[in-house]
Amino acid sequence: MTKRFGPLTAVNSVTFGVQRGEFFSLLGPSGCGKTTLLRMLAGFEQPDEGRILLDGRDITRLPPDKRQVNTVFQNYALFPHLSIRDNIAFGLRLRRLPRAEIEERVDEMLGLVQLRDHASKKPTQLSGGQKQRVAIARALVLKPQVLLLDEPLAALDLKLRQHMQIELDEIHDRVGITFLYVTHDQGEAMGLADRIAVMRNGVVEQIDPPARIYESPRTSFVAAFIGDTNFFEGVVTRIVDHDYCDVEVEDLGTVRCWNDKHIRAGAKVYLSVRPEKLHLTHERPADLHDGKVNVFPVTVYQKVYQGAWTRFWVRHGENVDDCWELSVLQVHSRYLLDTTPISWDDRVWLSWHADDGYMLENYDERDETLLNHPTEPVVPAPDAPYPADAAAEPAAAAPQEPSADAERS
Amino acid sequence: MKRLQRRSLATFWSVLFFFYVPILVLVVNSFNASKFGGAWKGFTFKWYEKLFQDRAIWQAMENTFAVAVGATLASVVLGTLAALAISRWKGRLQSAHYGLLYTHLVLPDILMGISLLLFFISVGMELSLFTVFLAHTTFCVSYVAMAVLGRLENFDGSLLEAASDLGATPWQTFWKVQFPLLLPGIVAGGLLAFTLSIDDFVITFFVNGAGSETLPVKIYGMIKRSRDLPKINALSTLMMCVTVLAVVASRMMQGRGMRPQKDASAARRPSSPAERREGQGGRVRGAAHHA
Amino acid sequence: MQSAPRTGLLRRIRHHGAELLITAPSMAWMTVFFVVPTVLVLLLAFRPTALDGGVGRGWTLQTWRTISNPNYPSIVWRTIWLSFAATALSIGIGLPCAFAMARIKAQWRSTLVGLVILPFWTSFLIRVFAWRLLLHPEGTISVFLHRTWSVFGWQFRFLAPETTLLYNSFAVLLVMVYTYLPFAILPLYAAAEKFDFSLLEAAFDLGARPWRVFWRIFVPGVRAGVVSAVMMVLIPALGSYVVPDLVGGPNSEMVGNKIYQRALPDRNLPHASALSALLMLGVLLPPGLAWLATRKRHLGATDTDVVAAMNSPSALGNSGGRRRNGVRA
Repeated sequence: MTKRFGPLTAVNSVTFGVQRGEFFSLLGPSGCGKTTLLRMLAGFEQPDEGRILLDGRDITRLPPDKRQVNTVFQNYALFPHLSIRDNIAFGLRLRRLPRAEIEERVDEMLGLVQLRDHASKKPTQLSGGQKQRVAIARALVLKPQVLLLDEPLAALDLKLRQHMQIELDEIHDRVGITFLYVTHDQGEAMGLADRIAVMRNGVVEQIDPPARIYESPRTSFVAAFIGDTNFFEGVVTRIVDHDYCDVEVEDLGTVRCWNDKHIRAGAKVYLSVRPEKLHLTHERPADLHDGKVNVFPVTVYQKVYQGAWTRFWVRHGENVDDCWELSVLQVHSRYLLDTTPISWDDRVWLSWHADDGYMLENYDERDETLLNHPTEPVVPAPDAPYPADAAAEPAAAAPQEPSADAERS
Repeated sequence: MKRLQRRSLATFWSVLFFFYVPILVLVVNSFNASKFGGAWKGFTFKWYEKLFQDRAIWQAMENTFAVAVGATLASVVLGTLAALAISRWKGRLQSAHYGLLYTHLVLPDILMGISLLLFFISVGMELSLFTVFLAHTTFCVSYVAMAVLGRLENFDGSLLEAASDLGATPWQTFWKVQFPLLLPGIVAGGLLAFTLSIDDFVITFFVNGAGSETLPVKIYGMIKRSRDLPKINALSTLMMCVTVLAVVASRMMQGRGMRPQKDASAARRPSSPAERREGQGGRVRGAAHHA
Repeated sequence: MQSAPRTGLLRRIRHHGAELLITAPSMAWMTVFFVVPTVLVLLLAFRPTALDGGVGRGWTLQTWRTISNPNYPSIVWRTIWLSFAATALSIGIGLPCAFAMARIKAQWRSTLVGLVILPFWTSFLIRVFAWRLLLHPEGTISVFLHRTWSVFGWQFRFLAPETTLLYNSFAVLLVMVYTYLPFAILPLYAAAEKFDFSLLEAAFDLGARPWRVFWRIFVPGVRAGVVSAVMMVLIPALGSYVVPDLVGGPNSEMVGNKIYQRALPDRNLPHASALSALLMLGVLLPPGLAWLATRKRHLGATDTDVVAAMNSPSALGNSGGRRRNGVRA
């Protein structure tokens, strides 16, 4: 199954394929074009360029009612004048199936989403989570080849959202239908998807399984949007061996780094190191990994205790106006038991393993605004276009709101 | 604060008194044996008896209903289509379309009456019940269109997408989803059109011909000639009873009927000339709002 | 790429075809029965009068010249002052009513709105007729005054039973206020309901007197309601026909009566047209100017929203927060 698009602004030359039965997630901030992409798959929008292939067949020009693709809408879009049962049976009745078969399949779906007792109620009588389940059942009962879910959990409160996530996962396992899930919530995407496509400004930045997205982000956007991170800018000074190199970071020093992209000496590189990969210790850690641990003295200047972990912000360098500020996450596996807690203004040692720093293929200063920092990072003027977009498509800088497209059509 | 509140409340109750007294006097006088109703000269039903013997009034009532039913049906179809077109497409055509319907709401009745009269004369149409029907349909279309538009404005467009996503053709989407959901608005518009048609005097006065008198025109004639005044009292009392009963009935229906959206309950009641004016004001208010 | 022509012309024609098909019925109807008659009115005003009661050939300004004879301007002037007086009175009375209604507990409000609307379920004609009964020389008020007068004697000279109550401009104004007051109260109330009354408390807290608070804080706060109330009362008032006809006398005729008189009994159609054109101008000028000033389409929520709200007291009661449907991403 291959789908290719390219309408000009909202979704910019996106190409990807989804496997049969896969749980695929489109993740990105609002306005990144993910909903437009979904609406094109459903048939509510027409791509200006490109094709959508479903099972090898070109469905690009098929109207929504002729596609074996069904959608779960963000606001549920349940028909208020029909009961739950009639809502679920809606599509089956349109297909003029025998009455007995309709009953059987609707009952089966009601069982799947555990709403047997509510079958005769009207949608207004249901809670948000129940409505969501009806919406899923209504789409699934038609046995589509692909189920599109547009931010299905966005309207639910936190607890319900977590519960529905598990339920969605179970439903996916049971029906074995391809799920294409649009969300702006990284937690949902990470927890549910087999693979995630991270989108920004109509462009797919990276398509990978959740762990690879997190551990090996290709761009600064992916690194900063999913989780939190620290960026370093430096120049490769020395290739240590096949796997490692040394990177000279201004005002910090030499950093040993895993060099899986085989960057040559002299090249400028950007590193991303996740806060939880950084460690703070009172004593300078012994080098047990023959030079693969980077160690720097730092001063704690901000500390936020959050129960399971503590978030620190530390500085390297004496001059407050011109120093490295790094975010560190210490998970409390044995809080207070074997360490003296680190506190404000403590001078401590910061360390991380060379394997935990990851070289980015693409870096953009503006992504620093996505980071969790107590002080505002210095960034260029907000209306300056992203360098990457400017190169690819000048119009991409224009704001795109998927709903605006919907109205125009 | 308290003083302000007390004074304004006193004004409000006086206004209600002002509103109800003329009507109460009218109702009481319909049972008054006195011809002028200045003084109470004993209880009587004789005006009602006379009323029921008046064949001309029954004829006028028949005319009124015939016109009201016809104009309601025609305007519901035209108005619903108009609302659908205005909400579905944006552009110059629909701006003009909306502007036409809107302007028509704002204009005083007498202008509609005179212009239609001139029109019928110019095209050589005999004034009859049919011209009354044409005139009534014309002013009802605007009201129906606005009632349905109000409903459409709260319409969740993703329901239509959901229907087509589930395999409904555009035709099926309309009849299985959009129409049932618009029905309360259409019914409300129809009820509004019906009551407005029954109540209209000024426009009808200009375009009715021999033998096509409607009830208001008939009443006007009776008032003008100062004849059978107590009969008008009786007739008015009866008409008020019918209206109140209709209101209560529609309220009860409303309570039983399905009401998916609360905000849509707005236009569910048969309306009076008062509400019609309110409707106009609403439009005017919109204009003022944009000013 | 290869599908571009298909999305282009063919689809657009089909698209527009549907639009035309659905727009045509009401558009055609309104064109024939609204636009054409209106244009006709404007044209006929420039035609000569034929002796047989029809319309003559050729074009003339004769009608407009006749209209400027002394009789007409006085009618126009009376129409204007009566309409403006009725509007001012309606708003003056409507403001405290709206204030009172908005200050009452929320669960009673829709009942109050219902009470305001209820008498107006009665036919317009009958309501005017009811006032004829009241104001009639042998009607309720006269008889009541007569009795009062006979008790109190000459002290109530100005309320003597001989006072003519009917067939004068005062009666016209009174009945106009009676019939148009609800149209002032309802938009004022709709605005007052959204008014933040803690502002008044703040003003009192700062030492303002009640009268001042009402006019300086509350009235500006419901400005939008006042504007719509003005339009609501003024426009129909300018076009009044029934009220001056039934409770007014020869000295309280308005433009509406003259239009009727010229059109039907006199059969002077160009005259009636010219007067109608004048009235149309007067009525459409203010909203027209407003429209030109904004050049905005009135398809915003405001219009239909207010109509919907006006159609039902319960909707008005809820108008505080407008409900919106689920937000799409």
